Amino acid sequence: MIRPEQMDRRFVEEILAEPGGEHLLTCWSCGTCAATCLVRRFNPAFNPRLILHKAGLGLREAVLSSAEIWACSACDACYPRCPQGIHISDVMRAIRNLAIRAGYEAPGPAAQVDAATCSGCAVCTRACPYAAIERKPQMVNGQERTIAWVDRNLCQACGICVAACPSGAMSLEAMNDAELLTRVAAGGWLEQPGFLQGASDAPRLLAFVCQWSIRAEEEWERLQGLNDEHLRVVILPCSGRVEPAHVLLALSKGVDGVLVMGCHEGECHYQRGTYLGRGKVALLNEMMAAVGLAPQRVRFAESSALERRAFERQVAALREAIAALRPAEISEVRG
Amino acid sequence: MSKINLAAYWASSCGGCDIAIVELGEHLLELAQVADIVFWPAATDFKYADVEAMADGFIDLTLFNGAIRTEEDAHIAHLLRQKSKVLIAFGSCAMEGCIPGLSNLVGPERALRRASIETPSTDNPTGVLPQAQYEMPEGTLSLPRLCGVLHTLEEVVPVDFKIPGCPPNHDQVWKALQAYLAGDLPTNRLLGVDPRTVCDQCPRVREGKIRVKRFQRPHEVIADPERCFLEQGLVCAGPATHAGCGALCVKANMPCRGCYGPPESVADQGAALLDALVASFDGQSDAEVRQIVETIVDPIGTFYRFSLAHSFLQKARALTSWGDDPCASQAATEGETL
Repeated sequence: MIRPEQMDRRFVEEILAEPGGEHLLTCWSCGTCAATCLVRRFNPAFNPRLILHKAGLGLREAVLSSAEIWACSACDACYPRCPQGIHISDVMRAIRNLAIRAGYEAPGPAAQVDAATCSGCAVCTRACPYAAIERKPQMVNGQERTIAWVDRNLCQACGICVAACPSGAMSLEAMNDAELLTRVAAGGWLEQPGFLQGASDAPRLLAFVCQWSIRAEEEWERLQGLNDEHLRVVILPCSGRVEPAHVLLALSKGVDGVLVMGCHEGECHYQRGTYLGRGKVALLNEMMAAVGLAPQRVRFAESSALERRAFERQVAALREAIAALRPAEISEVRG
Repeated sequence: MSKINLAAYWASSCGGCDIAIVELGEHLLELAQVADIVFWPAATDFKYADVEAMADGFIDLTLFNGAIRTEEDAHIAHLLRQKSKVLIAFGSCAMEGCIPGLSNLVGPERALRRASIETPSTDNPTGVLPQAQYEMPEGTLSLPRLCGVLHTLEEVVPVDFKIPGCPPNHDQVWKALQAYLAGDLPTNRLLGVDPRTVCDQCPRVREGKIRVKRFQRPHEVIADPERCFLEQGLVCAGPATHAGCGALCVKANMPCRGCYGPPESVADQGAALLDALVASFDGQSDAEVRQIVETIVDPIGTFYRFSLAHSFLQKARALTSWGDDPCASQAATEGETL
């Protein structure tokens, strides 16, 4: 229950005065933002409508201390749909700024730096879509070195820096390399010979799927059920998290094709991840062609908010492309 | 203390690794006090028969440089493995294939034709290629056959330690030898390196937020000697390269080329460098990203300049091709993971 003494008009004024917070009071509380919001798939407690409503009532403590104000990743899926045209991620940022000033911290998860391994090369500071990483002088084992430092309040745990880090110094608890490789290889899936070697009756595909690229709930629910001996689905926080080394490792073990599923241009949940995923696959394709591997075997595919069954279609298309690669004599023997 | 028996060998290499040993300079005299050189074709006159006559394990330490490109290289690798207590893959060629490993892109026939006929400095009007056997009035001459692909030393025989570099820095070679003599060897099998990557030793200023719209090659621009090469749009392998050289090239205003191989926990240097480079793209649309990708000339030669023969890419290629290989024997590569 909300009591009048909890309502602090000054809190509302502070938000309105903060850049991005200007439109707080134009909210109708219609809930279109919450209906659109993708974060809610993984964090059902996050509800932008409620946060804006509470903030508009001036419930300072309730808003600033809530874990949910940090969950918005500024994908801006709600922005074009808001009938009042409120740039909600900007309002969230204004509220977070007040929270930081009041001494609150984002609960995480956030990327972590292994100080002993980090060389301070600045690859991650350039990679981060949120400018959440800086290089700072720090004492490491009695020696001052300038290395990466993650601002937990800005980090959205997209994993783009983890993929980018060329020395393995950056990690993310739930999506580190060891865990991704475990998911790729679980059950000995990686150790079976492939179709192109004439040892499987159908192409064996590994799919790295951005957790935001498949938007319809029912398709998302169905995704894990598609796993079988010919298909391994590994969820990534973002297609920008994909590791070229994992793709190449899979090919070197005999996997026939790798699908990297990301979002449509301009729809990336983490602003630039989809461009990075695309860039990596483009370069991989170029290198595969140069070394004599069919570049068709590794593909970046995209799915937009309005598409349905895009993943199944892409898997089928990749299977077909790979089937066409196998030399005729193997196909004949195997029927 | 009795002296140790030391050997050095060159397989498919340029000779730079042997120069790196000669560059020990006055340390060679110290080395001579504790070691007898029992085999070193580049500097001393021993024959293969001398090695064959040795008892197994007679050599305490062999510094093996060069990749395995011919039957002869593979044969000597097996021979030296048998005769050596400790075998070190010395330098980039033996460790990861190095520049000669790039010939795996085209295979041995094409490489032979290029080297023997097509290069501008070659005068070969009859277009004759080196023959494995050639009949002369005096008898039959023979040359070792080429391997189907160029192998690293570890793909042919088990290796105890590796010293990276093209060539290894002579200070690091001396430190590695001292560590061996003191019995103070690391558990990770890598000798002659410093912790972390080249960036750790690079004195250049990294602003940290500058992204790049296009990449250029070193001959196309005069690089600012103070600023990070990557932030100037020059591909630098420093972030994905093990420290150990002392950042020699970057101090001479040339981007790091990556000869010290990947840092400790990284299996595939090229993939790591690719990822690091893409992260610095300043592209806000697919078209822009494509444009930036197009400015990276020869991605393989750029990312895998030294490590193609040892890469996942090479292993993937090997699964579907390369038929008979006179050098493929026990393929001693351990189960590699990331």
